[in-house]
Amino acid sequence: MKYALFLGCLISAREPGYELYARKVMPHFGIELVDMPETTCCAPFSIQSLDYMGWLAMAARNLAIAEEMRLPLLAFCNDCYESLLMTSIILRDNPELRSKVNDVLSELGKEYKGKVEVKHLLEVLHQDIGVKKIKDAVKRPLTELRVATQIGCHAVRPKMIHPTLAVSPETLDKLVRATGAETVDYDKKGVCCGGPLRGVNDEISRQLTRQKLQGMKEAGANCVVTVCPFCFIQFDLGQLEIKRDFKEEYNLPVLHFVELLSLATGLEIKDWKMRDHRIPLDSVYEKIKGS
Amino acid sequence: MKMSEVDPNFMHEVANTPRGEGVLTCIQCGRCTSSCPVARFLTEHNPRRLMEMIILGFRPDVLHGLPWYCLSCFTCLDRCPQRGDVGEVVFAIRSLAAREGDIPEGVVEQAKNLFGTGRLVPTTEFMHRQRKSLGLPEISTSAKDAETIMKRTGFDKIIAKTSTRRSK
Amino acid sequence: MARARAKNSVLVVGGGIAGIQASLELADRGFKVYLIEKSPSLGGRMAQLEKVFPVTDCSRDCVGTCWLCVLMPRMIECHRHPNIELLTCAEVKKIEGKIGDFTVNVVKSPRYVEEDKCVNCGVCVEKCPVSVPDEFEMRLKDRKAIYIPFPQSVPDIVTIDKKNCLHFKNGRCSICEEVCKAEAVDYEQKPEQVTLNVGAIIVATGFDLFDPSQIPAYGYGKFSNVMTAMELERILSPFGPTQGRLLRRSDNKEPKSVAFILCVGSRDKRFYSYCSSICCKYSLKMAVSIKQRNPKTEVYLFYTDLRAFGKGFQEFANEAKKIYGVRYIRSNPGELLEDPATKDIRIWYEDTMSRGVQNLTANLAVLCNACVPREGTGELAKILEIKLDNFGFVKQLDEITYPVDTTVPGIFAAGYALGPRTGDIPDSITQASAAAERVFEVLHVKKEE
Repeated sequence: MKYALFLGCLISAREPGYELYARKVMPHFGIELVDMPETTCCAPFSIQSLDYMGWLAMAARNLAIAEEMRLPLLAFCNDCYESLLMTSIILRDNPELRSKVNDVLSELGKEYKGKVEVKHLLEVLHQDIGVKKIKDAVKRPLTELRVATQIGCHAVRPKMIHPTLAVSPETLDKLVRATGAETVDYDKKGVCCGGPLRGVNDEISRQLTRQKLQGMKEAGANCVVTVCPFCFIQFDLGQLEIKRDFKEEYNLPVLHFVELLSLATGLEIKDWKMRDHRIPLDSVYEKIKGS
Repeated sequence: MKMSEVDPNFMHEVANTPRGEGVLTCIQCGRCTSSCPVARFLTEHNPRRLMEMIILGFRPDVLHGLPWYCLSCFTCLDRCPQRGDVGEVVFAIRSLAAREGDIPEGVVEQAKNLFGTGRLVPTTEFMHRQRKSLGLPEISTSAKDAETIMKRTGFDKIIAKTSTRRSK
Repeated sequence: MARARAKNSVLVVGGGIAGIQASLELADRGFKVYLIEKSPSLGGRMAQLEKVFPVTDCSRDCVGTCWLCVLMPRMIECHRHPNIELLTCAEVKKIEGKIGDFTVNVVKSPRYVEEDKCVNCGVCVEKCPVSVPDEFEMRLKDRKAIYIPFPQSVPDIVTIDKKNCLHFKNGRCSICEEVCKAEAVDYEQKPEQVTLNVGAIIVATGFDLFDPSQIPAYGYGKFSNVMTAMELERILSPFGPTQGRLLRRSDNKEPKSVAFILCVGSRDKRFYSYCSSICCKYSLKMAVSIKQRNPKTEVYLFYTDLRAFGKGFQEFANEAKKIYGVRYIRSNPGELLEDPATKDIRIWYEDTMSRGVQNLTANLAVLCNACVPREGTGELAKILEIKLDNFGFVKQLDEITYPVDTTVPGIFAAGYALGPRTGDIPDSITQASAAAERVFEVLHVKKEE
């Protein structure tokens, strides 16, 4: 299965661990990631807020590239996914708007015909591959890990635009359990991490992350698994910020789901040079060393 | 706010802005505020009240500052019985605020990055080196295309307006 | 009984209050009425209720249920009336013909009990070894595989639920047959085909209730102390699972605080965009009923608009606030959470009148869920060739000029089968009367050409 890989700004610039391990583990499951040439930002919410047409045109340009490649578009980041998905649906259902957008794109020599399928990483793993195949590929069951998952908001809401509930709140938990790890239910599990307010209103942003970390700790989690790079920063770098502002330590290492999956499929630990992880992963190494 | 400052047409202005149609069917039931994660921390951020203020025409109060607390987490959108949804209307009022140059600093930074580099988070020398050492492909983007789109849709004027407003 | 001439016969589908009313009116006028009911007993939704409103003529000390005074005599009359033939456990399978001359195929499912012999002594029920959730009791308690839906059922004959009966599963149990002194049990009973010739048909099939587990934020099905309004009716009913004592599910204790949440599934474009029209009224009624039992119980009503229209309701609402102390909060709550230790329900809401996000902990939360088309309406509509509206309720020929006519001449409808017109019991009775009158009109009144 081939997908046009839309990495987005944050992963490509700040979270090489995500990208590295995604590229290493996906081929195990027969997924080929084809890089998209010359993508621009997907136009996430802060940008969408400024100008409607600007958003649609920016997002549609990326969709047009995937369309030229004749491949479905695979997004890792929740915000990218939602922006591109919403755009694809709006332009699919609204030919007038589409022609206005194509008016702008024509200046770039591009056209979006409205036919691209936008998929999320979890959707591909859960529906195209399935929990069973993942279970079968596990060489090192991560039974010592008690994972607090953060699926993020935009992978699952709003329900009405998510096609046939491609990803539901339980999807990430199911996939994590397939690796042998345990998932925990914690207070405020479905609530936003506060990411979108980073840089806009840091106080609230941090409070939201903090209340989730409290819940995670109380529920007995020993690590956090995220899918969205914004959630990752909130929980990872965020723990250092919270330590500074509130004098509270949670010591919860944060992993991208593809990293968890890589560990479970037997990737060597010494490959691990994760500088984008601010909270040390030593405790995770210790727990899985035995198996 | 003075009665003379009330704009009776504001509700319709918002309804005619993209993503703002929901303001017409709001029944003020309060489910959105009850579900909003930010509302639990901050009394100023009250989605239902925001809709109420739009409907009542309190234009300056609505456009200044208030719309930027929203996380766009869409919890309200999922639960709104009228599918009206303040989560979408927030985008409409932000774009109206943006037209008047009223945007928070952090967002302006992001928009400037986009305009200059085609990316929200610009790349640095360090990142390029790290990617190379990890064997990751080079980042390929088109700052030129991004700039063209933003110019074509009037984005650049919005950013310019904020700069002038700030300097005042 | 001899099959009467078509022009003097009517088929009434549905044995709830609307069907019963229409049947009685037509029977009194000399029509031969075939009253068909899918379940083993007449009564419908009204039989599940504790009290009905307005309770003006009755003694305030009455500890019975209203329907004993209102519905019960009518049910018995239907059973006794020489012009009414009652067919329970029966469904319409096919019709042919047209107004004035319909041929209807009805299938009577076997009860496996001979109707003439059973005297409802109750011994078989006592001895039956199988227990399954009781639908009439909204699954709050169990019934046996041989059962009578409720003590005052009409006809008061037991029925065997074949799906759960051991005799039909493995052939090994015959306890009920053995203990029945009247020798009424007959496992060999077969479905009976009955062909009826009628001049007109009235559809009065009532409503079902929205399943609130479709709204995960409210925790129905997960939290033991979140229940639906109909479940509460059964709890409050003296014939219900707790003999009328208000006890909550998690610890069987009396709740010190009860919160009603309105518009669950109703007025909601995600589910049913219409207003179910009866919830504001019945929640008010139940709130006062709870207060009457124990004035110290805190009762909260979370509403969006208070639709207490018609005779006496606004006054009742005011009385509820001022005299009984029911607390009205204008808010549609965002979510309900459960306290894991006490199993109390924490309700997050925003009091839209005084502003500000707040939360309230109640011992019991009651969801007033939407009234939706009865399951099977689609199939019945296909058989009768009547049109349904876009929600699945029976479509009126014209809302203003022919409000109880369906789109097929000679077929009429009454009660909640028509949807939330105004929906409450007096309205169902009115519509039933109207439908009966229409039947008389089309069958017996000569039209000027």
